[in-house]
Amino acid sequence: MKKLLEEGKVMFHVLIIGAGTMGKIHIQAFRQMKDVKVVGVVDPNQLDSNKELDYQVFSTFQQALETGDRIDVVDICVPTPLHLEYVKKAADAKLNIICEKPLARSLEEGQEIINYCNRKSVKLYVAHVLRFFPEFVKVKEIIEKETIGKVGVVRTTRAGSFPIGWNDWYSDYQSSGGLILDMVIHDIDFLRWCFGDIERVYAKGTLGKGFDNLEYALITLRFINGVIAHLEGSWAHDSFSMSFEFSGTVGIIDYNSANDKPLELHSHSNKEGSGGVAVPESPLNTTPYYRELRHFLDCMKYGAEPIVTAEDALEAVKIALSAIESIRTSKPIFFN
Amino acid sequence: MKIGIISFAHIHAESYGRALKRIEDVEFVGVMDEDEERGRKYSLFFGTRHFSNINDFLMQDLDAVIVTSENVQHKEHVIAAALAGKHVLCEKPIAVNKIDAQEMIDICREKNVLLQTAFPVRFNTSIIRTRELIKNGHLGEIIAVKGTNRGQCPGSWFVDINKSGGGAVLDHTVHVTDILRWFLGSEVRTVYAEIGSMFTNQLIDDSGILSFEFENGVFASLDCSWSRNATYPIWGDITLEIIGTKGRLSVDAFNQKLNVFTNKMGYNHSYWGDDMDEELIKDFINSIRTGKDQASITGEDGLRALEIALAAYESSENKAVVSLV
Repeated sequence: MKKLLEEGKVMFHVLIIGAGTMGKIHIQAFRQMKDVKVVGVVDPNQLDSNKELDYQVFSTFQQALETGDRIDVVDICVPTPLHLEYVKKAADAKLNIICEKPLARSLEEGQEIINYCNRKSVKLYVAHVLRFFPEFVKVKEIIEKETIGKVGVVRTTRAGSFPIGWNDWYSDYQSSGGLILDMVIHDIDFLRWCFGDIERVYAKGTLGKGFDNLEYALITLRFINGVIAHLEGSWAHDSFSMSFEFSGTVGIIDYNSANDKPLELHSHSNKEGSGGVAVPESPLNTTPYYRELRHFLDCMKYGAEPIVTAEDALEAVKIALSAIESIRTSKPIFFN
Repeated sequence: MKIGIISFAHIHAESYGRALKRIEDVEFVGVMDEDEERGRKYSLFFGTRHFSNINDFLMQDLDAVIVTSENVQHKEHVIAAALAGKHVLCEKPIAVNKIDAQEMIDICREKNVLLQTAFPVRFNTSIIRTRELIKNGHLGEIIAVKGTNRGQCPGSWFVDINKSGGGAVLDHTVHVTDILRWFLGSEVRTVYAEIGSMFTNQLIDDSGILSFEFENGVFASLDCSWSRNATYPIWGDITLEIIGTKGRLSVDAFNQKLNVFTNKMGYNHSYWGDDMDEELIKDFINSIRTGKDQASITGEDGLRALEIALAAYESSENKAVVSLV
């Protein structure tokens, strides 16, 4: 399906790197924006697609550049260990960058990404999408109004089944950093947004215990402002859910996506008596991904500081890696 | 069977008193409470005698006592009862330090009386079922447990460290750690704790996230905070998220309730599940009746749970992991 574009109104020509789950979600979101054109997707695995696409598919970044078509933004949605490589390519081409979270697999790589973008004077936006989920935006707003007083204890859960990605890269700890770096980092970043920097982290987890296709972690963060946060991460559940609870001196706010849902579709069982899978939905006019990408494009347009900076993203990586380090060493890890 | 209650300082005494009235062939023979007013009030309420002196109380014809005094008084009351040859059911935490707890255990053993630690959660029907599901292998090998035992701040002497010996961490760590020891048949090896004082405006710990590792490798966390606000629909909770190699079990022990909405009270839970306190008392009485040489939940069980809570304080103080074995 071709999108009709009035060429003069297109401000952002976006090149997507990686047509995996997140790349596809981003393409969907960009399609809804009148001033955006997805000019192509770089993905060596996508070449044989026989679907009618309204964008070009390139097997390499170089190929996309060689077309000479206009590109304003590169949106990097490839597995974490490939971020640095594509950031460099995009920055070399003087293109602004949106990069999926986690920013990098290591602190050194993360710092190199930031330095490289600074050196090449390109913008770098890291897609910590949780900051654009309305339930999370709302809870932060209520906390800031001190409706529940001063917050003492926070609990979060992010749970799902073990992810299946390209080349099974999630189960390769060296590549993905596992559950904590890939998934719990969402809540880590969100809590930093709410409460500032942390003093220390302690964590227990299955890492290194040899459970196949199952990962589970329990993390405690102590913030400088005194807040104690407990984060549960699970790739041992059968379906996705996320929840939080903020306990304050005069009130409590809780949310659980497994319970607080406006729609749930149940198909009747088939003759064999199986089926009957429940599919929950929480429809919004614009998805959190749309809101996030729109915000980044608006920041580019108006030269504004994004809600989440690259430094925030690096700090989230640092906390996530420290949690992993704590699991390894069975010791709390202190921050300055 | 003649049973008395030593002190109504602890809120559970009322529930235990009610259980005594309901259980067949049990006579609730008296209340010992040094607080005259409180003692008179409850002895009147339960139609029993009031004593303000523990020696007078223990002189009467009495088989066993329930000790529900302030935590720091457990030692004195338990030892007095044991020396008088009475079996004892002692409210948790068994004591406020390990030496006291050990002394209580030793004297009860010497005097040949049962010492049971009041861990009623072991008698919660859903907790019993959880243990069954684990034993029957439905979860496979247990990997981890995420637990909570939160509550509203109980106020009164609970927030006075000179009477309670500790706040939320001491009050709410022992239940879940006891349950986990019971489920896993393994002892806690390490404890790490982040403890705070945020909710009470008192110089006492009122919030904590504890992490444990058991000798068998299982890891667990526990939120023991007094973080439920005054209008929360229920006083508190016991929840467990148990992760196993074959399955996962979510437990919310008091989630057998109605949701009640009224103009006067707002939203409240009305519990309709079984009464774990009554089952605890029945079990204690049964152990006496059948002449068991040890209670189903021993003083040592109380001591083990206490050690974990004390280790949590030590961990928080030193900002380090504390090893127990």
